[in-house]
Amino acid sequence: MQNLRRISQGIFLLLFLFLFLQTESKGRDELGYPVKIFLDFDPLIFITTILSAHAVAKAFYLSIVVVIVTIIFGRVFCGWVCPLGTLNNITGSLKKWRFNMASRNWHRVKYYILIFLLASSLFTLQLVGIIDPISLLIRSLSLSIYPLFNYSIRSIFDTIYSLDFRGVVGISESIYSILKKGILSFQQPFYNQSIFIGVIFFLILGLNLVERRFWCRYLCPLGAFLGILSRYSFLKRSVSEGCDSCGICASVCQGNAAPDKKEDWKDAECLYCWNCDDVCPQNAVSFGFFRKRTATAMDLGKRRVIVSMLSGMFAVPLLRATPLSKSGFSNPGLIRPPGSLEEREFLKRCVKCGECMKVCITNGLQPTFLEAGLEGIWSPVLISRIGYCEYRCTLCGQVCPTGAIKRLELKEKVKIKIGLAMIDKGRCLPYAHATPCIVCEEVCPTPKKAIWFENVKVKDRHGKGIIMKQPRVDLELCIGCGICETRCPVLGQPAIYITNIGESRSKENQLLL
Amino acid sequence: MDRREFLKLAAISGIGFSTAGSFDKLIKSVEASEKIDLVVAHGASPSKITDAAIDAIGGMKRFVSRGDIVIVKPNMAFDRLPEQAANTNPEVVATVVKLCYEAGAKKVKVFDRTVNDPRRCYVQSGIADAARASGAEVNHIDERKFKDIRINGQAIKTWPLYTEIFEADKIINIPIAKHHGLAKLTMAMKNWMGIMGGTRRTIHQKLDESLVDLALVIKPTLTVLDAVRILTANGPQGGDIDDVKRLDTVIVGIDQVAVDSFGATLFGMKGSDLGYVKVADKLGLGTMDISKLKIKRISI
Ligand code: SF4
Ligand code: SF4
Repeated sequence: MQNLRRISQGIFLLLFLFLFLQTESKGRDELGYPVKIFLDFDPLIFITTILSAHAVAKAFYLSIVVVIVTIIFGRVFCGWVCPLGTLNNITGSLKKWRFNMASRNWHRVKYYILIFLLASSLFTLQLVGIIDPISLLIRSLSLSIYPLFNYSIRSIFDTIYSLDFRGVVGISESIYSILKKGILSFQQPFYNQSIFIGVIFFLILGLNLVERRFWCRYLCPLGAFLGILSRYSFLKRSVSEGCDSCGICASVCQGNAAPDKKEDWKDAECLYCWNCDDVCPQNAVSFGFFRKRTATAMDLGKRRVIVSMLSGMFAVPLLRATPLSKSGFSNPGLIRPPGSLEEREFLKRCVKCGECMKVCITNGLQPTFLEAGLEGIWSPVLISRIGYCEYRCTLCGQVCPTGAIKRLELKEKVKIKIGLAMIDKGRCLPYAHATPCIVCEEVCPTPKKAIWFENVKVKDRHGKGIIMKQPRVDLELCIGCGICETRCPVLGQPAIYITNIGESRSKENQLLL
Repeated sequence: MDRREFLKLAAISGIGFSTAGSFDKLIKSVEASEKIDLVVAHGASPSKITDAAIDAIGGMKRFVSRGDIVIVKPNMAFDRLPEQAANTNPEVVATVVKLCYEAGAKKVKVFDRTVNDPRRCYVQSGIADAARASGAEVNHIDERKFKDIRINGQAIKTWPLYTEIFEADKIINIPIAKHHGLAKLTMAMKNWMGIMGGTRRTIHQKLDESLVDLALVIKPTLTVLDAVRILTANGPQGGDIDDVKRLDTVIVGIDQVAVDSFGATLFGMKGSDLGYVKVADKLGLGTMDISKLKIKRISI
């Protein structure tokens, strides 16, 4: 069974990584793979999104499959499928474990986390993505691990290339080109907070050296949710009379389910790894359908349950009490991707998985820190100085699992305003320095240019009259894509910049009538 | 001096020959080159007119020799479709690639440093697929291959340029004719912005001079100006089909200044209306006065 399980874990991990790598434009406007399917199958995201936004993307109904599978087979998702679980497994096996290691009694913590999340989502706060395993894994890989991986591989090959060792370069370049086709990204991605997000991820993996599958045992809310379902599953573990309480099963148990203590057996903690069955010298352990339930009841403590529920509720006003909610205006730099719902609705749905940032072809989509308040941490914001919104691209809406960013047809997308460009006359070359420049106009992608020129006769330093083309932004035509800001040759603070004024998704944030 | 060497010398001294062709053909092509400066071909099929225009100027064998590595440089800077006339017509590019191989080229490379996302520009312009289908090697720009090149021009002293251009045996420029906010029109000379590295946007401050500076160091073997569809306003990106005019024309020439000067007439302008053409003419890089040119017009 062990080998079968490992094969299944391997296949799902590879599938996950493959889809992760495919979350990248190849030049067409479709990706061609269901890259977000792991998120679609995630019932925790499904439920919290229903609670917080009272609506859900169609693909999400796939997650019901996981619920059904769990009711039939128990928490097999954790033991056999979950890619983060598999990574935890792998890291945990880096260490030799002593036979009789006592494990902590912290398994309840994850239920409190789950209750907290459910309570807060009931009151319209969507925090699940921060700690949901699939979302957390995609975000950590997208914004941190993969960029880091790319950076190191690239710098190795760049060094060989620039040192120009005869003979070696030919070989290294051909390896490099294979890597570039297969696993490297098209261009080096960079993200704000990538170190921070990466540290969290490595901490989670590192905890496996404190205790195997630490995350899965004590922290994972999805694990908790599936654990509760698993208590009613048809497939159950049972131990026959032959058991002589040697305790070897406890030392191989992945889920801290106390398999050696007959009375104390915690079925919700069982990951269905089958290790105990494999290892039992008496062959006393077996799994089968429709067995009698032998486990003890889950004892979470009424008071603690209430505390986590209340804290989930109170987290809502706490996280939202920012000066922004007083003024009613959002941070002007908070430029959301095209197709984003109105900010309140957006926050109810965005799970901060990072899919949109991974797929954004210009790398302009970045995780927020506090720009959208604490509740919006790691949601996407377009930083135009880094990258702009490509006029004919609709990828972010295609990969968003919850519909926080709507999927748009190209002809709708090009009409959506995500903001508005403003010119800083004190910096703009033709205005401030009588120097020609038309870069913003040249790159402006709207069919009728949103930037127009006023031909103004100015004098240069020597009194000679020259004609300057001074740019103006057409408030109606500008869609706020930000390419003008990205490309503005005025360094430091650009002379043209985007704010979210005029964004289509907001009724209030409008400059024009 | 054997024949090969003689031909090489002849090539260096400025007249293109075919090393592979027979002597008869050689003489014929010399005659052709003396007679015709520009070919303007008109017709419904982009590939047929390209074919005919190159044939009329002496055939691809006049320019490309057996074993040559040829760079074919279209304009595919924008994430636009062929109908929108922001990028070179893919059929024209594919035809030139095909002719290069027929003339014996060892390898034909097609690339551009794009303005929009390169992946999208290559695919959406239709050029990557078309050129690959004709056998070209279509790769994305490799940032490491830009090297500072001394230019010593009026505006640019040195600039990182794409080294593959200087390693190639032959260079064929295939711009599209279209409107531009500052340069008024962009065609052949401006297309060399596509091999500039670094922050090339700053050259707009002295655009005309900078373009001519580039022409000091980049010497195309042949220029094929795509005017199958031209963009008459809101260039260089366009996007509105109403700004596109179908001319079904291709212009071929060796002198890129002459090509650009002629190109201006497609828009009802004169070469002297374009700053960079004027500057280039003054420096003797080419001929602006098209009345001095032998132009052959063909129609298919
Ligand atoms: S407990 Fe959570 S992280 Fe662990 S395997 Fe299950 S779902 Fe994955
Ligand atoms: S943001 Fe700039 S480039 Fe984009 S539409 Fe507005 S003016 Fe044009």
